[in-house]
Amino acid sequence: MMEVHLTGIGWVTGAGCGWGSQGGLCEFGGPPLPVLTRKDVFPEPNQRFGRMSEYAKLGLAAVAFCLRDAGLESWSEKRAVGVVASTRLGCLVTDLDYHRGVLLEGGGLASPNLFAYTLANCFLGDAAILFGLTGSLLAINETGEDGLGSLRLALEDLALGEADTVLAGICDLEAPALLADQAAQAPGALFVSLALAPPVIPTGYGRVSLAEEGRVLHNGNRCADLSQLVQAALAGRDGQAARQTARQLGSGQEPRP
Amino acid sequence: VREVCLSASRVITGLGPDLDSLWRGVLAGESSVRPLSLFATGRYHCKNASVIEGLQAEGGRSRIHALLERLLQGFPEVPADSVLLTASTKGCVDSMERLQQGLGGDPGELPMADLLDRIRARFGLAAPGININAACASSTVAVARAASLIAAGKSEAVLVVCLDLVSEFVFSGFCALQALSPGVCRPFDRNRDGLALGEGAAALLFLSRERAAREGRPELMTVAGWGAANDATHITAPARDGCGLVQAVRQALKRADLEPERIAAISAHGTATPYNDQMELTAFRTVFGGRDLPMHSIKGAIGHTLGAAGGIEVALAANCLDAGLLPGTVGLLEPEESGLGLVSASAQPILGDYLLSTNSGFGGVNAALILRRGGA
Repeated sequence: MMEVHLTGIGWVTGAGCGWGSQGGLCEFGGPPLPVLTRKDVFPEPNQRFGRMSEYAKLGLAAVAFCLRDAGLESWSEKRAVGVVASTRLGCLVTDLDYHRGVLLEGGGLASPNLFAYTLANCFLGDAAILFGLTGSLLAINETGEDGLGSLRLALEDLALGEADTVLAGICDLEAPALLADQAAQAPGALFVSLALAPPVIPTGYGRVSLAEEGRVLHNGNRCADLSQLVQAALAGRDGQAARQTARQLGSGQEPRP
Repeated sequence: VREVCLSASRVITGLGPDLDSLWRGVLAGESSVRPLSLFATGRYHCKNASVIEGLQAEGGRSRIHALLERLLQGFPEVPADSVLLTASTKGCVDSMERLQQGLGGDPGELPMADLLDRIRARFGLAAPGININAACASSTVAVARAASLIAAGKSEAVLVVCLDLVSEFVFSGFCALQALSPGVCRPFDRNRDGLALGEGAAALLFLSRERAAREGRPELMTVAGWGAANDATHITAPARDGCGLVQAVRQALKRADLEPERIAAISAHGTATPYNDQMELTAFRTVFGGRDLPMHSIKGAIGHTLGAAGGIEVALAANCLDAGLLPGTVGLLEPEESGLGLVSASAQPILGDYLLSTNSGFGGVNAALILRRGGA
């Protein structure tokens, strides 16, 4: 059983946006998802972001935060990094908007730009362009409820030598009204970065592995779902920070803020 | 590393209810692309697509269930320990259209998990299923993953089910992108002017060679190599230099431990859009240099079946390798200059054991498979 390193965490939930090394907790549920603007995600101007669907913005933001946390946001040459995004409803909200605007309300010919976002994987294309990712990038829908399907695929890719670094996570908007009674998962997006090599700067996030019967383990302990895995990793981060502070105090160094 | 064989396949396309009708149709140069009656096309500049005759929405349910039922009728028994992978870009898109129009229907059909559960229940599969959405390369990526799982010993059996419908939803979008041909779909033709949409499905059962032998199941073809890579250049347009496709093909060659010279034929994506076909020709000339080898696209015959395209092409590839014959490209009149020596309107002999099958799609996705003749 091969263990890989968890090197980055990024999220957008109703409680807010964040990434692991920034501090804070990743909590699903609570208030509605924030309305994301370019400034929430990118310090530099980005001409595409404002034209993306809400689903694409959500997924792209969480991928961006995850890459930032893993030290992979900046790049000069394309990298063979893969991404697996699990989604229950995918771009259904975009589909409904498109169908309503173009086919029901006679909005004339469709917007090519909006149509491009009626595929669940298209925000990953944006991520590929923005961050130079040339691995296998795909969206999946799974029957399992634990949100770990993307992690299993990513761990398999790493174990099979298909890639050295793969991001895995979940991305779903609030369910539209016609599916409101079937919405089992809290909306939001959460991605983790998994890599064969350890992070350059220790994160304390720990290691992840795939055991028999598809069980996902964090530092050898079974995780019931993706949220639990991330909580365990963030607890490791806090332990790492405490240890670092203790070491710095012991050596007389000024603790880092 | 275990060998991965295709043990059973079934296909439904506009050319007919099985693989044999597809094989005979493309060999005869037939096309199922015709004027549409599924929805009104008055507002669109294109009026044609390939649809499957008599596929009705019964009881307000998606037409995809009727497609699935026809596809799986008579399909051999699937081992209960099989992993299920589906490949569909839009699933029950017609149900979404009807619900939006207030015509009723079951919203529970809209999540892809519903379709996965139905297939799992039909075959009594224990493991959870996964639908792969990598745009028009979805089924190629699904087959690559199936091969990867079996080769690494993670599974002995994987069922891949690929399917997509023709809908006004998708038709209007491709129309807006100016990607649909107002006339005849002509892949790799110098006067090509766009694709034709099609609906179709494929069911493919992959087994480890040991499992197939142990259970006395057929070995139709071997999946020898696979690769997937992103262009990272544009959301809807392919990279001009074909960088992602080149990378995917080279991964597949490396996985198969083959030099490019061993590839004897290519089943290309060949949508007949100006940019896609030129990108593919550029990529294949990069990988194979000046060597001419037979290449075709079947999208002039059955339209572009989106998430099902790669699966249908894999099933057909087994026939091609078995017969040593690559059917001509239906619709092709005058080959694009860089395609001279590669594509032909007539069938071409396959002088070797390996066929390369590729697909590309929105989001910059590219995927490649290397398929080996059964018994080679």
